[in-house]
Amino acid sequence: MKILSTFFVVGFAFIANAQSIDKLNGDALFGDIKARHLGPALMSGRVSDIEGHPTDSKTIFIGTAGGGVWKSQDGGVMFNSIFDKHCQSIGCVAIDPDNPDKTIWVGTGEVWTRNSTSIGDGIYKSNNGGKSWKKMGLEKSDRISSIQINPNNTDEVFVGVQGALWGPNEERGVYKTIDGGLTWEKIFYIDENTGCSELVMDPKNPNILYASFWEHRRTAWSFSSGGEQCGLYKSIDGGKSWNEIHQGFPKGTLGRIAIAIAPSNSSILYSVIESADKKLSGMYRSEDAGENWKHLNSDFGLVVRPFYFSRIVVHPKNPDIVVKAGLFGSFSRDGGKTFKGLGAMHPDIHDFWFDIKDGDKMFVATDGGLYRSMNSGATMEMVQTLPISQFYHVSVDNQKPYMIYGGLQDNGSWYGPSSSPGGVEGRDWETIGFGDGFRVYSHPEKPNITYSEMQGAEAIWRYDSDIKQSKVVKPLPVKGDPKLRFNWNAPITTSPNSADRLYVGSQFLHVSDDMGDNWRKISPDLTTDDKLKQEQEGSGGLSKDNSGAENHCTIFTIAESELDQNIIWIGTDDGNVQVTKDAGKTWSNVTENLKGLPANTWCYHIEASVFEKGTAYAVFDGHTSNDKNTYCYKTTDFGATWTSIITDDVYGFARSFQEDFENPNLLFLGTEFGLYVTLNGGKNWVKFENNMPATAIHYITMQKQTNDLVMGTHGRGIIIMDDVSPLRQISEKMMADKLFFMEMKPFEMSEQSDFGGTSSPTQFVGANPSTNARITYYLSKRHTFGKMSMKVLDKDGNFVSNLTPGKKKGINIVNWSFYGMGPRIAKGKSFARGGMTPPRVPAGEYTVVINKGKESYETKIQVDYTKNSIFSLAERKQQFEVSKMLFGLNEELAYMVYVMDEFIVHSEKTSKENSKMKKTGLKLTKELNDLKKVLVITSGDNYVGTVENQLREKMSNVYGAITGYYGAPTKTQMQNIALIEGEMNSARKNFSSIQSGSLSKYVNALKKNEITAPNLKTFEEYVKKD
Amino acid sequence: MAFLFISSVFISNAQDMTVEKIIESYVENTGGREAWMSLKSLKMEAKIEFSGMELPLSITSTKSGEAATVVNFQGMTFYQGMFDGKTLWGTNQMTMKAEKGESEDTENIKRTKGEFPEALLTYKDLGYTVELEGEDTKEGVECYKIKMTKKAQLVDGEEKENVVYYYLDKENFVPIMQEQEMLAGQMKGQISQTLFSDYQEVDGLYFAFSMTQQLEGQDGQEIVIESVELNPEIDKTLFVFPSE
Repeated sequence: MKILSTFFVVGFAFIANAQSIDKLNGDALFGDIKARHLGPALMSGRVSDIEGHPTDSKTIFIGTAGGGVWKSQDGGVMFNSIFDKHCQSIGCVAIDPDNPDKTIWVGTGEVWTRNSTSIGDGIYKSNNGGKSWKKMGLEKSDRISSIQINPNNTDEVFVGVQGALWGPNEERGVYKTIDGGLTWEKIFYIDENTGCSELVMDPKNPNILYASFWEHRRTAWSFSSGGEQCGLYKSIDGGKSWNEIHQGFPKGTLGRIAIAIAPSNSSILYSVIESADKKLSGMYRSEDAGENWKHLNSDFGLVVRPFYFSRIVVHPKNPDIVVKAGLFGSFSRDGGKTFKGLGAMHPDIHDFWFDIKDGDKMFVATDGGLYRSMNSGATMEMVQTLPISQFYHVSVDNQKPYMIYGGLQDNGSWYGPSSSPGGVEGRDWETIGFGDGFRVYSHPEKPNITYSEMQGAEAIWRYDSDIKQSKVVKPLPVKGDPKLRFNWNAPITTSPNSADRLYVGSQFLHVSDDMGDNWRKISPDLTTDDKLKQEQEGSGGLSKDNSGAENHCTIFTIAESELDQNIIWIGTDDGNVQVTKDAGKTWSNVTENLKGLPANTWCYHIEASVFEKGTAYAVFDGHTSNDKNTYCYKTTDFGATWTSIITDDVYGFARSFQEDFENPNLLFLGTEFGLYVTLNGGKNWVKFENNMPATAIHYITMQKQTNDLVMGTHGRGIIIMDDVSPLRQISEKMMADKLFFMEMKPFEMSEQSDFGGTSSPTQFVGANPSTNARITYYLSKRHTFGKMSMKVLDKDGNFVSNLTPGKKKGINIVNWSFYGMGPRIAKGKSFARGGMTPPRVPAGEYTVVINKGKESYETKIQVDYTKNSIFSLAERKQQFEVSKMLFGLNEELAYMVYVMDEFIVHSEKTSKENSKMKKTGLKLTKELNDLKKVLVITSGDNYVGTVENQLREKMSNVYGAITGYYGAPTKTQMQNIALIEGEMNSARKNFSSIQSGSLSKYVNALKKNEITAPNLKTFEEYVKKD
Repeated sequence: MAFLFISSVFISNAQDMTVEKIIESYVENTGGREAWMSLKSLKMEAKIEFSGMELPLSITSTKSGEAATVVNFQGMTFYQGMFDGKTLWGTNQMTMKAEKGESEDTENIKRTKGEFPEALLTYKDLGYTVELEGEDTKEGVECYKIKMTKKAQLVDGEEKENVVYYYLDKENFVPIMQEQEMLAGQMKGQISQTLFSDYQEVDGLYFAFSMTQQLEGQDGQEIVIESVELNPEIDKTLFVFPSE
């Protein structure tokens, strides 16, 4: 033990010097504060790529638009997330053909370049099947379209870099490594605007490569696809030289080009062309490895939105079966001449995978998750284990449990509960809006009223869930108004001061004080009103694409101060921040005061502080200007001056922010790569990674009653950090203590039943929050050596229950379910299920004691009955007393049976071993066994071989029923108890009779024969629990 | 299966760290190789507490590969993970009768033979490979991450790589966590973790008196060890599948 104690001294001295808020990292802080994933998965989210193992058809990987990489090892039924720590926007996944169980590559940055797509940050490799990953460079690639691995030498890898969507980017082109990714050489480059949108390798000859190059660009207000440099190229020398292969393609400007090789015949290629000549857009086929092309088809399904749908997949065995991504997906059995649609599923199809062993089985990637088909796409079945939903926004209400509201990319608007019996299932969610969903709010005082919208505020609905009625309540232009401009993700918000008030932002701020029926404009145009950024009709490039996604010069965020309803902040997508202190009569444009912020940077979120009227936080997102820096500013003087609160700790541009409403220094920042927390007002930030993926957080809100931080993520659904109140209490003084109990509010004991849960095992179910007492403490050092135990005592110091202490460095949360220890139950030959019901403690103060080595720590906690309980204290008292009496009765019976068992074993043995004991021994054995048969079940099993209940089972059943309820026992129960007490009295009498008769004689005989009697525990020893 | 150690007196410089040195340090400082390897069998009395109930367990294991976990509850005795070197068996909780384990499970148990008292002590003899994979933070503690590749496991008729990760506290070389991917069943692909703490000395050897098993990201269930007996007398019929 000498070595051990030496260690402790050294260890603690080190820790005492090291603990400081500025130096904390997340691993040593958050401890048991874990993210809770709610999904949902019923609408799922966009899947960008599917890749299968080359020989094991059960192993399938999917890359997603914002939810990382998922792996199935059971043929596509269950999936596990395997890329949580890294960028969640995925361009492609590739599997090493020579080592497919271990070596997996991921190229980040989705290549289906819609307005809301995220960004990538390089290429990653796993050498252990996806358990861990290492970034292998190409950090500035932004979007990786393809990874092709030479099957003869898998250290040789070719990568297609599509590159930046929002600006020029010299990292575009085709890259090659010959050392497994340690170094890269750019082997084919066209220009900073034209990237490699697809790269494929001849499966039979790795020297033959085909690369399509695409010129494209987004701005916040436009999209352009196509250019003179777009083209399809072929290399036959492993990428050393490339030649354009356009024989048969249309002349003139091209746009995005898809390319695929038939795996069963690599002379057969398919390509889909976006062309200035619309008649010649569509499907092409070559039968001579790209020398010549023949135009086959210009069907809508083939030419629709090339930037979004540009994937062709050819059947692994039949070169004439070809599928093309599209609005609904297109399937051809005749080599691309004609196409049919796929079975009903979510539209917007991005990729396909044919099973390598069963060519009729296929997987399809959509905007609404992954689908599988057993019959070549005729009927499609959704994979229901993928909570990769893409929320644009989230809000909560004040119901109990609180409801969560939000809208999703291409998946409408929804609300669902933060908890539900059995977990939050798909069926718990209600849909309240069509199209793409965005901001959804509940009326602050009428939970039946909800506001939702669809893209570009084409509709804003007020929905009454009581009568299932919706009404469009959108602000409309009136005489003298210009056209109203609404963002794709138009801002709606309710007021913290006036329940019927609703705000909507176009270029003007509109307010309604009657739930959206009538509107007033309370501002001039608050944007830059730059006419050059308002030409959306011409957007799209070669293929016109005016969906509303590029609407610009609009208000994007609105915040009315909780402290003063006259103070309203707005932020616009073209970079303006304006504030009014008189409810819109006058406005101050405070944009110029934001020093260091590039002009016209999108103001994504403004948070009006709940502490000071002049204080606000503004988050800016520059990524649509190809600026990936993080911007979050604070003002304390209504925007006259601003200070950046971002440090080098933060990675990724930010969109969302939340100020704690009790501790002004506790702030939360949502970036494109996860959640950051500061405990000191932004002097330093800590990344929160406990069960929290590095996903884009589009909005954060906080629920006031529970202190839950609720995040709307764009790829991993709703994620909750339950009860952040421990973070409010972190201080350097506290961290100097070995063990510090946090202040805990009184805990409320739920009285809901455990019924619930109807999902199948192959459906995702969101986790419920704890309903227990969450006993929270901070440990300055992990407990590893010596004993550590934890218990609860009542106010008189009586033992109630043992608990399992948390031992990690940082915050530990130990759940106590308000139970004391259950009764000792008599030994029998079956389960006495009622006896498995521990008694719940009465409301009151309890002491929690932690013994750690030689030291002891304690704190008091308060436990209350639930506020909406239907039970009076008198009823509870009655329940408590009856339960306690039955508890005692069970233990009395248990002890009686224990004593009997001890004598049965003893007498059986002595009667065999000692002839002088035989007669008295056998008599006692028989009498005890006869009695025992009516006290406990002594035969049968725990299923259908069960036998009639005896006293133990009857007694424990009524005990369990009464103890498991919180109100007074019923008359019937009391009558039943009387019956059982009668039986117990008989048992006492009969046992007493044996004790004074055969047992007494047996004990005397033992003495006479100098045989040791059974060494019995006393009753107190037998029932002792602490 | 997890018992271990203490201290770093033999380690002078973190930069010199190799996987062999880390493991050897653990071995020497937790009682020494000789003492560990002279161990023939172990018996642990343990308990699991949940919802106001206490489940007492008796866990026995031997150098020759036998294993037993015996649970008593309401007068009934359940046998789990019982293995006599040939047959894996356990109690069916409906019928309370012994039933044999599935053949692949049995084969996989056989393949762990020789891991007693702990694979970190015997890996070389078993032909397992170990690698220092780097450093990672677990339980707020900076750890060395050691990857051990054991004998392959048989899963649905196929040989699957069997990798276990050990996380050893950098400050004192004590393993605080073991991690393994679930190789079969509904949970396939999820990460199972076992946390170790409350190390205490028993006759010169150090054992973790608390082990918590959990799935990554979820709450776990603790097994509290109340006593450890070295080389207990064991009636080996305990391990044998009972005849009717």
